[in-house]
Amino acid sequence: MLWNAQEIDLFLKEKAYIDTVVIPLLPVSISDGTRQEAEQAEFISLLTAMLERQFKGRMLLIPAFTYMTSRDHRAKIEELKSWCDELSAQGFAHTVCITSDTSWKGHEEELDANIIWMPSIPLHHMDDKYKRKIVDDQVNQLIKIIVQKWQSA
Amino acid sequence: MSNQRVSRRQFLNYTLTGVGGFMAAGMLMPMVRFAIDPVLKAEAGGDFITTGTAEDEITDVPTRVDFTFEQVDAWYTSEVTQTAWVYKDGSGKIVALSPTCKHLGCTVNWEGNPDEPEHFFCPCHNGLYEKSGKNVPGTPPTAPLDMFEARVSDDGILQLGPVVPNTIVK
Ligand code: FES
Repeated sequence: MLWNAQEIDLFLKEKAYIDTVVIPLLPVSISDGTRQEAEQAEFISLLTAMLERQFKGRMLLIPAFTYMTSRDHRAKIEELKSWCDELSAQGFAHTVCITSDTSWKGHEEELDANIIWMPSIPLHHMDDKYKRKIVDDQVNQLIKIIVQKWQSA
Repeated sequence: MSNQRVSRRQFLNYTLTGVGGFMAAGMLMPMVRFAIDPVLKAEAGGDFITTGTAEDEITDVPTRVDFTFEQVDAWYTSEVTQTAWVYKDGSGKIVALSPTCKHLGCTVNWEGNPDEPEHFFCPCHNGLYEKSGKNVPGTPPTAPLDMFEARVSDDGILQLGPVVPNTIVK
């Protein structure tokens, strides 16, 4: 389900069936990294939107967890952890964070969540057909990871 | 050259009638449009989109066909990609099923579960559909898969139209 009024109504009604929540993790800064971060945001948003389309009936895509790149790493982790704790307290069996930010690598155990790291691909120079193919491939990978997660639960 | 000379008066008459005609049409058209608008709308909604699949590529095995078109909503024009599961039924008629699960809207896959051959499978809550799109009782979906209107263009390319309720499930 998407984070909009119409779909949230359905979500509230069918909550029992929606056991997975997806959080995009997006860094923001105005610095040398800005360009890359914008690219990441574009890519991750596209990816999560397509993932949601596949699994609309079982996952809720919530607004991204955004943070200033310069933010202290510990504070960031604590903050995300409180999101994850809250969500699992609300009954979500699976919390999936999707990001291109390498700084999250190796922190999964601290969070009660899966962090899936996808290398960001600069899409804006590609022609449409190629772009679609690349994104499709990435989405298929994500689909596999998530189905596996569901099956092993 | 014709011998029938057009006099100045005739010329003016013709031109003014012509211009007047356009003006009248300009005024009348919106009114006519307004009156028959529902008719025009139905036609606009009935647009078919040409896919990249030729008719002779379609077999009796449901195959994924992606097609893209531009969608305009209140604020954005966006490229939308949709998917259909396309095959030919016993009599050679093209069937194009919508992949949207009738339970809560996940995307279903043909033989998506190896344990359920010859079925569409929904990975979200194990929904099952027969090849015709008929939902298998006892699984969450309560209605058959919708279908796209399908036709073949003059040069043999599959074209897909609006989504309609399933007509082949009895
Ligand atoms: S959304 Fe397909 S079975 Fe629930």
